[in-house]
Amino acid sequence: MAGTVIAQGITIEGELTSDDDVLIQGTLRGKLVTKESVSIENGATVEADIAASSLSVGGQIRGNVTAKDRVDLMPGARLIGDVKASRLTIADGASFKGNVDMDV
Amino acid sequence: MARASSASQGNSAVLGKGTRLRGRIGGDGDLRVEGSIAGEVAVKGQLVLAEGGEIVADVQAGSVVVEGALEGDITATDAVAIRASARVSGALKGSSISIEEGASVSGRIEAEFDMPPELGGKGSR
Repeated sequence: MAGTVIAQGITIEGELTSDDDVLIQGTLRGKLVTKESVSIENGATVEADIAASSLSVGGQIRGNVTAKDRVDLMPGARLIGDVKASRLTIADGASFKGNVDMDV
Repeated sequence: MARASSASQGNSAVLGKGTRLRGRIGGDGDLRVEGSIAGEVAVKGQLVLAEGGEIVADVQAGSVVVEGALEGDITATDAVAIRASARVSGALKGSSISIEEGASVSGRIEAEFDMPPELGGKGSR
């Protein structure tokens, strides 16, 4: 289980920094930086720039995303913002608007 | 210790060890803080500040359990429990307040209760 869970019904506004996995089911506005993975579940709303080792998205994000390892947009995901990651997958049914930088 | 699962549909948020928040956190559910928060905390459920956790903020919650360090005022609609490992500086306000031996607390304590009429009180404050 993730070290940090922003559960459904919880709203965070501000800057969240972590050494551990972060699971978002609620709402986050601001900025999120973690050394580990971030998972944004279906139903979550994120308006934040995110930096993480990897990112998996099933919910909605508006913000720029940087991942050391990979970004996965699952079915139902909605991302408006730029992605910088060495690997990116966009599942059927995910929507995405923004630029991709795969660091080539 | 039993995990309070009073919140509906598993609405239990955790700010893990090594996680720091500068800003505001609020919502309907419970919140467990093992990391640190500077800013503002307002949850409707139970707030648990675990040992090793740190909050520098005014705190509003349904009920509050403090095992870590807290600098700021606590306002609870229900009970406030200060455990032995806690360090608290700030005003405590709740329907009932308990402080375990070993805890360090500096600040005002305001428990809401009705004064008996013979003491001339119609209520607290």
